[in-house]
Amino acid sequence: MNMYLHELKSLRKSAFIWTCVLIALAALYLSIYPSMASDAADFKKLLSGYPASVRAMLGINLDYITSFLGFYSMIFSFIILCGAIQAMNLGVSILSKESRERTADFLLVKPVSRSAIVSAKLLAAFTAILVTYIVFFAVTSIMANTIKISDYNGKLFFMINLTMFFIQLIFLAIGMFVSVFFNKIKSVLPISLGVVIGLYMIGAVLATGKDDDLARFLSPFKYFDITYIIKNANYEPRYIICSIVIILVAVVSTYIIYIKKDIHAVS
Amino acid sequence: MNIFLRELKANRKALIIWSVCMFLLVLSGMAKYTAYSSGATADVFDKMPYTLKALLGIGSFDVTTISGFFAFLVPYLVLSTAIHAALLGSGIIAKEERDKTIEFLMVKPMSRNSVVTSKLLAALVNIVIINLVTLFSSIVMVAAYNKGKDITSEVVMFLLSMFIIQLIFLSLGTLISAFMKNPKSSGSLATGILLGTYVISKITDLTDRVNVLNVFSPFKYFSYQDIVNGNGLSLSIVISSILLVVAFFVLTYLFYQKRDLNL
Amino acid sequence: MGVIEIKNLTKHYGKARGIIDVNLEVEQGEVFGFIGPNGAGKSTTIRTILGLIYPTSGTSTIFGKNCIEYPEVRKELGYLPSEVFYYDNMRVINLLKYSASFYKKDCTKRISELADIMELDLKKKIDDLSFGNKKKVGIVQGLLHEPKLIILDEPTSGLDPLMQQRFFELIGDENKRGATVFFSSHILSEVQKMCNRVAFIKEGKIIKLEKMSTLQENNYKRISLETKAEITKEAFNISGVSDFGVKGKTVNFIFKGNINTIMKKISELELSNISIEEPDLEEIFMHYYEKEN
Repeated sequence: MNMYLHELKSLRKSAFIWTCVLIALAALYLSIYPSMASDAADFKKLLSGYPASVRAMLGINLDYITSFLGFYSMIFSFIILCGAIQAMNLGVSILSKESRERTADFLLVKPVSRSAIVSAKLLAAFTAILVTYIVFFAVTSIMANTIKISDYNGKLFFMINLTMFFIQLIFLAIGMFVSVFFNKIKSVLPISLGVVIGLYMIGAVLATGKDDDLARFLSPFKYFDITYIIKNANYEPRYIICSIVIILVAVVSTYIIYIKKDIHAVS
Repeated sequence: MNIFLRELKANRKALIIWSVCMFLLVLSGMAKYTAYSSGATADVFDKMPYTLKALLGIGSFDVTTISGFFAFLVPYLVLSTAIHAALLGSGIIAKEERDKTIEFLMVKPMSRNSVVTSKLLAALVNIVIINLVTLFSSIVMVAAYNKGKDITSEVVMFLLSMFIIQLIFLSLGTLISAFMKNPKSSGSLATGILLGTYVISKITDLTDRVNVLNVFSPFKYFSYQDIVNGNGLSLSIVISSILLVVAFFVLTYLFYQKRDLNL
Repeated sequence: MGVIEIKNLTKHYGKARGIIDVNLEVEQGEVFGFIGPNGAGKSTTIRTILGLIYPTSGTSTIFGKNCIEYPEVRKELGYLPSEVFYYDNMRVINLLKYSASFYKKDCTKRISELADIMELDLKKKIDDLSFGNKKKVGIVQGLLHEPKLIILDEPTSGLDPLMQQRFFELIGDENKRGATVFFSSHILSEVQKMCNRVAFIKEGKIIKLEKMSTLQENNYKRISLETKAEITKEAFNISGVSDFGVKGKTVNFIFKGNINTIMKKISELELSNISIEEPDLEEIFMHYYEKEN
């Protein structure tokens, strides 16, 4: 419990900054919704005249682009990207911190098992992400309500936003695994930025091309197709399963590797 | 000379990885051109409202032509190399304090300025290599997919503007690390500023009213529309950008010389 | 059952040699010294005892239990590493409180007592402390929970002479209260003063394990002679003589064995001066530090 509180305290500042960043981004994009909505209404009429392949290629679903939820789904991808960077950064840094800052000799000699240490840190990181998400969702909901033109489905809005939380959990788990897998981590930022942006680009480039279902598995950003969510008020089961599998495998591997690892004096 | 060579060697692995990624990015981006250039889509893009196009990143380009499409692809290339430059710049200065090698290096019979110079030169070489890799990939891929007239000179213009933006973020990165004592926060601050300017560029994409903000976003210094039209780069912008880069570099030297080094 | 028991402990770092077949037993209440040249394997041994690294083969237990399988045994363990690093932006008192929170006992009184003895300012930020002062934080941190086993890795490096003295008094007091102390050091005079037993490790192997009293009493004598005529090395080629040095007419060496044999030899010589002393630990061990030719 003491470790959990200690870790939580050290994460306080960055969680606060990230929450503000995410909220600011949402505010920014939401502010242009009103003008965009009126423009798009006209365009919607035009699009209906074109073949389905064209519409699919552009990744725009006809009925929803002009609705608030459709608009939100388009801008949300960038916000998810930032949330993923936060989670990945957190995951990579929280365990490697003991090695990078050489405090391992202090902590690992205490009468606590290594798995207790991993649990405390994992829980603290999870809490940080959860709090960031809850605050973000609350504030964004208020903002959305303020600028809305017509009522939107609250449940769907919640489900769309929840996808960011899922993606953050995936990157948190991947981050922790990466940090114990590699022996020497000198700088967290290049790794987390690289992995996240890399996977994002893979998602952006691969999945819009052929709508290949298999390709979607390569990038966590593509696990939650918002048009599907809006249409079916549900997530696609196999991607949910895939996410859970990734998280479980990553977390369990993290425990196993960290428990078995030699902790050297100066890394 | 020894520091220069050492830095080149230390950054070798990252450079190779980034170069491969840039190549793949160009490859996969250009591969989508055929989808975009099919006849039916031309009209769709024509009639699409401005804000919608801006959201998609298309803006006012005619993405059915190869130069318009490449102009649409360029911001992604620029963002990637800008991140590389910012991380490289802030990292190469901050690493001595981060890795605790500062006591080793700074008592050698070399002035701090010469240390900075060697590091900057090494960083510059990295930037140039990334740029050349991207340039080469772009020329090859554009030629592969191009059905119309040759746009190699435009591609060169685009990559030249990218080079200047790389320089801006490289120098910004070194400046931040030179100024800040804490080596950990300099990387985050540099990327934070970069992402901030990127968001600003996205906002000004969407609406014309806040164009004054463009001065804060290097991503908007060069008009890609002008390049597509064959007008090349605006000389005044190029000169002001280079002056900005020089100013940042000078400040890097000044700050690093003056401050207490963090043990 | 010893407080620390190490049986056939071996650790290889890939192809590099770590420690080979180390056997040690530290009894309750003793002060055990662990010395050896740089790179001999002292830190490797200690880190294996602590559970920071895993042995390639062999076992190591504290209070009879392997401390990785039973992390609770570390409750009675205090460790002071040779290089002390703590979390950023923490004040001394907060770090000490955080450390205390692992031991489920109220250490506040002990913290202030120790801080007083070591002259440590509890309110300061750790980042602002000098190397030696950081070391003091390490000392207080290792002792604040009144552990029954104290493991020290080069504990006095960085401390000024007064603090070194205070530190050894502290350790002496803890030992009187029943604590067992295991410490590795390069300062042989410290080891000589404090320890009941000493182990010498070289190139991964324990080459000597003896009681201090045995080392000192046991016929180790440093003999210096000044002779009237020049002496050759061969003249003293008898068993028991080691660390032999001759410079012109001055001869000195360490002798262990039947004192009569060496006295007979010396009596054959024409002497101008002689001195016979008890050698200190440094002299006994110095030649062990040298690489074998």
